[in-house]
Parts: sequence; C-alpha cells; structure tokens
Amino acid sequence: MWEELAALNWALIAPLLVIELILIVVALIDLSRIEKANGPKWAWVLIILFVTGIGPIIYFIFGRRQ
Amino acid sequence: MQWAVIFKKEMVEYARNVKWIWVPMVFLLFGIMDQITTYYLPKILESVGGMPEGAELNIPIPDPPAALYMSISEFNMLGVMVIALISMGLIAGELKSGVYELVLSKPVKYSNYITAKWAGLSLLVLSSVFLGYLGGWYYVNILYGELAFSTFIVSFLIYTMYILFFITISVFVNTLVKNPGLVLFLSIALLIAITIITRIFGHILSWSPGHLSSYVNEYLHTGTMTGDMWATMATTLAIIVLLLFTAVTILKNKEL
Amino acid sequence: MSLIEVKNLSKSFDGEDVVKGITFELTPGKCVALLGPNGAGKTTTLRMLAGFSKPTNGTITFDEQSLSSDIRNYIGYLPQFPVFHNWMSGKEFLIYVGQLSHLSKSEADSRADELLDRVGLTDAKKQRIGKYSGGMKQRLGIAQAMMNRPKLIMLDEPVSALDPIGRREVLNLMREIKKDATILFSTHILNDAEEISDELLLLHHGELVEQGSLDELGNLYDSGKIILAFQDNIPADMEEKLNKLSHITDIEFKKQSIEFISSDVIASRAEILQLAVQNDWPLTKFEIAKTTLEDLFMKVVNQ
Repeated sequence: MWEELAALNWALIAPLLVIELILIVVALIDLSRIEKANGPKWAWVLIILFVTGIGPIIYFIFGRRQ
Repeated sequence: MQWAVIFKKEMVEYARNVKWIWVPMVFLLFGIMDQITTYYLPKILESVGGMPEGAELNIPIPDPPAALYMSISEFNMLGVMVIALISMGLIAGELKSGVYELVLSKPVKYSNYITAKWAGLSLLVLSSVFLGYLGGWYYVNILYGELAFSTFIVSFLIYTMYILFFITISVFVNTLVKNPGLVLFLSIALLIAITIITRIFGHILSWSPGHLSSYVNEYLHTGTMTGDMWATMATTLAIIVLLLFTAVTILKNKEL
Repeated sequence: MSLIEVKNLSKSFDGEDVVKGITFELTPGKCVALLGPNGAGKTTTLRMLAGFSKPTNGTITFDEQSLSSDIRNYIGYLPQFPVFHNWMSGKEFLIYVGQLSHLSKSEADSRADELLDRVGLTDAKKQRIGKYSGGMKQRLGIAQAMMNRPKLIMLDEPVSALDPIGRREVLNLMREIKKDATILFSTHILNDAEEISDELLLLHHGELVEQGSLDELGNLYDSGKIILAFQDNIPADMEEKLNKLSHITDIEFKKQSIEFISSDVIASRAEILQLAVQNDWPLTKFEIAKTTLEDLFMKVVNQ
C-alpha cells in the first residue's frame, strides 16, 4: 500500500495541501487579531486545526461574524 | 464619485476581513478537488484493497470537457452556498445592525449604494470563481487531456452570467427582508425554484437563466455558441438589470 | 424666516398613532430641545425629519429645498445608538461619510482632522472604532453629523446614555456647535433641556403640547406661588392676617416659611410688604417663585 501511495504524483497533490495550509494560517492569524469571535477562541483554534479540510472555512463563515 | 467611494469601501472591507484571501482559496479548492480525487480514486481503491479477486474496477475516466465541468458542479453546490453566505448581510446586515442610520442619513443615492455593493461583491466572487475554474482547467490539461484555453474562457463567460444572476438575486432579497439568515434561505430557495421550473418547463422557457449551467456543459463539448445560448445570456442580463432596478426602488420606499 | 417648517406631521405604525399631527418651525441658530417622556414619539419625529420614516400625513419643508430635493444635504443626524463600521478607524469613517456627502478626498481629510480635534479624538483617530468607549463613539457620532457642514443637526438622546463626565463633554460640544448650526435634540431629561436649549418642544403621547422659549413657557405657566421666610419662628398672628387678604389661597405653613398661591401677584406683593413693615415681621425672604421646568413638565403631562 505504501508503495502505491508513494507512486502518487505528489506534485499534483501538493497544491491542495498548500491551499489548506494557507487557509489554516490566515484563519489563525485572523482569529488572533479580532477582538471577539463568535464563541470561545480556543474552540475555534481546535476547529481550524482539526476539522480536516473545512475547519478554516467554517471559521471564516461562522466564527468571525459580529 | 460617490459610487466609487462606496465601491472602494467594500474592497477595503473585504481586504480587512480577509475575504480577499479566503474566498479565492475556497473556490480554488472547489475548482480542483474533484479532478484530483476522480483521477486518483481507482488507484486509492486498489491500494486500500478489499476488492474480490478478479473483480474489475470500472470507473470511467471522464473526457476533458466532462472533467472541467466537475468544477462547475462543485461551484453549483458548495460555491453557491458560500456566495449566499457572504452576501446575506450585504445590505440586510447594515439595516439590521443600524449602520445604515449613519450612512443613509448622508445624501447617498440609493442606486449608488446598491449597485456599488453589488459590483464589489461581484468582483470578489467572480475573481474567486475564475481562479478556481482556472485551477480546474490546469488539472484537466495535466490529468485528462488537452482542452483549449479559448474554450475555457468562453465557457467561463457563460458561467459568469449564472453567478451574476445568483448574486443579483441575493442583493435583491437583501432589500426585501432585514434578517440575514432569512436572506440566505430565500435566495437559495429562489435559485432552486428557478432551476426546478426550468427543468419542468424548459421546453417553453428556453431562455431561462436556469439553463446557463447546462449550456456551459454543452459549450464545453461542442465548442459552439447557439442562438439559444446568446438569447439566454441576454435574458439573464435583462433580468439582472431589472432586479437591481427593483431593489433600488424597494429600498428607496422602504420604511427603515 | 424659519429653517424648517413642519406641518401637521403624523405617523402611525400598524394603526397606532405615534405622532399625531404636530406643527412647528425651527428658527436658524437656535438650540431646540424635543422634550418628552419615553414613548412620546421623539425618535419617530426625528427619523421622519432625517428621511428614514415616511410621514403618514403632513409635510416637512426645508427653506432651501428649492436648491435640491434631497433634504439630507442640509442635515446631520446622530441616532440614539449610533453603529459604526467597527473595522474602520475614527478618521477613516469620517472621511468615508464626508466623501459620501460629496466632499473631495482632501476636503474630507482636513475636515475630519478639524472635527476630530474639536471633539477631542485626535489621539484616537487611528484606532479602530471597535475599541472606542461609549463616550468616544458618541463624540465621533457628533463629528460625523457635522462633516457636511449641515444647517440642521439632529441628535437623538445625545447624552442620556453617558456618564456624568461624558455628558458634560457632549453638552459643552453642543454649546460649541450652536454657533454654526441649528440643533434639534431629543431628551427625556429636564436638566439637559433646561441647561442648553433656547426653545422647547414638549411632546407627550405623540402630541406637541407646548412650544416656546424657556421664559415664555415659564410665564405661561406661572403658578403665582409666593414664599415668605422668617428669621425665627413664624409670628403667631400670621394666619389670621393672611386670611384677611383677598387673592390668596392654598396657604401652607412650614417651619420657618409660608407658601401660598396668589391670583394677583402684584397686588399681593404690595399688601404683604406693607403688612411686614407695619407689624415688623422678621422677614428674611420674599420670593415670587418661578415655575421650574419640572413643574411645567408635570403640569403639562398631567393635564
């Protein structure tokens, strides 16, 4: 199985990871800058980091509304 | 002048609340994820195993036009949801919070207020959709075979009308009700209603904006613009202008 | 010549009359208080003048309306709870609303600096409005209402929500503004109206029950109350002597003073001072009491 995965062309998949990384970093920086989030900040940190794929998106849409 | 002031304020706001970063990124994600997963799905299934000996994996590899249309399908599902979410407070939010009391007590023309906000939102969303669609096209060329750039551009322009149509619906609903959540619900409900009506009465309503997505698909495969496509785009443009005009009239006469 | 003429202005919401046909004029350069208890229709009246609410009936005429049909060119408005774009700095917001009022970018910029200085926010001008305190927001609200050099500034309960220091600051500011523009402000606090306004519009249950300058209103409702105060105890034969005088009613004895109502203050004054000399009363005070705004307010509201 690992050999198969290694055969994947990582150059093709890397952009997905980069986008995800950008979203996570921007979300965390933004969270640290806003005065108040929609709910406790630590919970948003968990969501941004651990809800795979869509954590930062959930934060941007529901977390920073005033 | 006043129009430009409001438009610029919207742009600065989108920059400060990092929408200029996350919306394009999200649409890029929507635009490329299906191409990648569909390409690797057979390989992943194989490596995970569990297939009975001798069973043959029969997942057809889409041709380039179908592969590019996967981006549009994602935009129509998740993309529309994101657009509805970022536009639900565009005007309704200002009416509800009370900011409008300071802004609209200045000699602001309601037409400037609405169209500048509409244009700002459209620029943000269309740039994002373009980026995502471009990413999708790039992956199609690498993984599924060549597709002409001109075909990509023209199909994007057809789809642009659909996105603008939906943005305009949302802006229109924004002037009807004050509650952003209700704006979200009503704009999506309206879009779904138009899609269903077009599907049922499509043979009569051959110029309905509800056809635009399928026209994108048709164009990707045939590469020709039909008369119906042009007529539908013209109809959509007319409806957009009419909706914006109505929205201005509604807001002007609204008891704030 | 009046700046603005309001005729028979009415507003009803869902069949309930909130403002019932009020008529008044505003004279240029005056500070006018729209006074009334909560729910009297003050905010609705101001919102109709600002154009947010369409009158059910009646007209609002601006004397310069011939120049432009948009009344908003000449007014500045501060709502009771102003909400800003909290992501902007104070100065950015002022420039934004200035440009909305057709000032050029550079005009708006210098006007913003001038007003920030005037309302004492120069040090905070680059701070995000989200971080401003209530008093700072109120002062920024006044500044934004003045950006377009309006002829009429309308302030809805500008000081009601502020602490004593903030209140003092805003009242001083209003005194300053009076030099440049006509002010119409609403309040339910008598002291504020008394302290700063030249004229009063007394609103009660959507009706304009009284209007005029503080003095005029005071005379109109003069109670005819006379107060006598004595050095020691009240002379024993006082009651008997007072009862003999005509015009006098409602005599009320206090420890060292007497209060009573006279239907003819001038005549009573002569009689009483004469008695005081004849009988050598140890008077320390003879006062014809002025009606306070509170008396007036209670009187009007209870009518």
